Amino acid sequence: MFRITRARPLSPLAHQFIQRCSVSGTAKGKAKMKDGQPKKRNKISAKKGSKDQDPSKSPSFSRQDAEKYRLYEECINAPTPVRFLKPKERAREAEREKLGLESQERKREKEILKKGGRQSMGVPDEPMIMGTPGLDLIALGLVDVDKIPKYELTEEDGKRLAKEYSRVLMRKHRARQAAESTLLRLKKEAIEALPEKLKQAALVPDLTPFPVNRFMATLTPPIEGYIEKVKEAARRSSGKEKIR
Amino acid sequence: MRRSVMRLVHPLVTTRGFCTKPEKIVASVLFERLPVVIPKIDPVVYAFQEFSFRWRQQYRRRYPDEFLDKADSRGKGDYQIDYEPAPRITEADKTNDRKSLQRALDRRLYLLLYGKAYGSPSGKAVWHFPEKIYEAEETLRKCAESALQSVLGNLSHTYFVGNAPMGHMIIQPTDNAPDAGYKQFFFKSQVIATNKFKIGKCEDFVWVTKDELLEYFPEQAEFLNKMIIS
Repeated sequence: MFRITRARPLSPLAHQFIQRCSVSGTAKGKAKMKDGQPKKRNKISAKKGSKDQDPSKSPSFSRQDAEKYRLYEECINAPTPVRFLKPKERAREAEREKLGLESQERKREKEILKKGGRQSMGVPDEPMIMGTPGLDLIALGLVDVDKIPKYELTEEDGKRLAKEYSRVLMRKHRARQAAESTLLRLKKEAIEALPEKLKQAALVPDLTPFPVNRFMATLTPPIEGYIEKVKEAARRSSGKEKIR
Repeated sequence: MRRSVMRLVHPLVTTRGFCTKPEKIVASVLFERLPVVIPKIDPVVYAFQEFSFRWRQQYRRRYPDEFLDKADSRGKGDYQIDYEPAPRITEADKTNDRKSLQRALDRRLYLLLYGKAYGSPSGKAVWHFPEKIYEAEETLRKCAESALQSVLGNLSHTYFVGNAPMGHMIIQPTDNAPDAGYKQFFFKSQVIATNKFKIGKCEDFVWVTKDELLEYFPEQAEFLNKMIIS
């Protein structure tokens, strides 16, 4: 039995085969989290209880700490205006209501509905502005306001809008593909129509690099003399830093 | 036996084809300025994007403000400057000044000259693309470059796309123009990094969009429609 001892370099796919996570071979640590039980990350509140037992520390320390932990709680349990549930989960919630059990999330959902639903949390019924105010698409003249169709924030309206969107874009895409194929066809015919020597010269691919100073189309046209203003402002701001 | 006969016959056939009449070939240039501003957005597309944005906002988690404000902290080297965006419809649009390159900023503009052209009936000035008859340069692209050079002066702000022409037209001799009977090959070239051009060697020039271009060439409108996309 031979064994090749020469070290082979790691293949480019080596990262897929290096062991990334531990495999215990047992069921330990694989229990799924059940709804309603305290999640593992809520250990913070347990820590807070233990810290409060120390009376010798100054009160400002524990107040700062309390602020920190309040922030953490708010981030971990951040609310959403409308709760998303799959149909199975919804059915389960309904059954639990019948039994009289109510989860934290369900409680919060009811509070939000009492306050006024998603309108109170910042999702209005009228169309929102797309883009920074002042530089949004309507103010810049990119869209005709009167031609926008009317719609509510409901599922069937959403499906109708999606269908029209898809239709419009596919039509444009197909038109562009057809136009590009026509372009290629015309180019081939033109090359065929050339006399022999010029045809050979035309068939040579042009490998000179593209010009580097070609500008992409932007949202608004370039302003003349703007780059000087920018450089001035940058110089002034950096100058102030040095003086301080 | 037959193969060798064919080999003898074949060169005779081809040389006979070449020796009849040298074709007149004209290289013309489609000089275009690419759009400076993105085109208008279809209202249906805008409506769907706005709807989907609001729908997603419904399910987004709202984090406390102190947490989000940490991202707003100003870094070193940031400067304050007032930004007033330039209008997308310029004065050249309002006055319909066809000689200016600042017109239709969201479309492509093509250069047209007014003067004597090769296909024109004996010396009458007509609207045409910058062109030059092919004499004996190396490639047709060099001929086109010299055509554009004679109009612009120098080629520093142009970029010719590829060595091959992008289309050809066969102009038949007619009663009006008896000396026509040539093939016109179009080469594509683009404006790079400039706003104004000095156009010489002609009585008049215009920068036009595709629709206006089709007005200037009524009989070749169909071919030009296929060759120029937008």
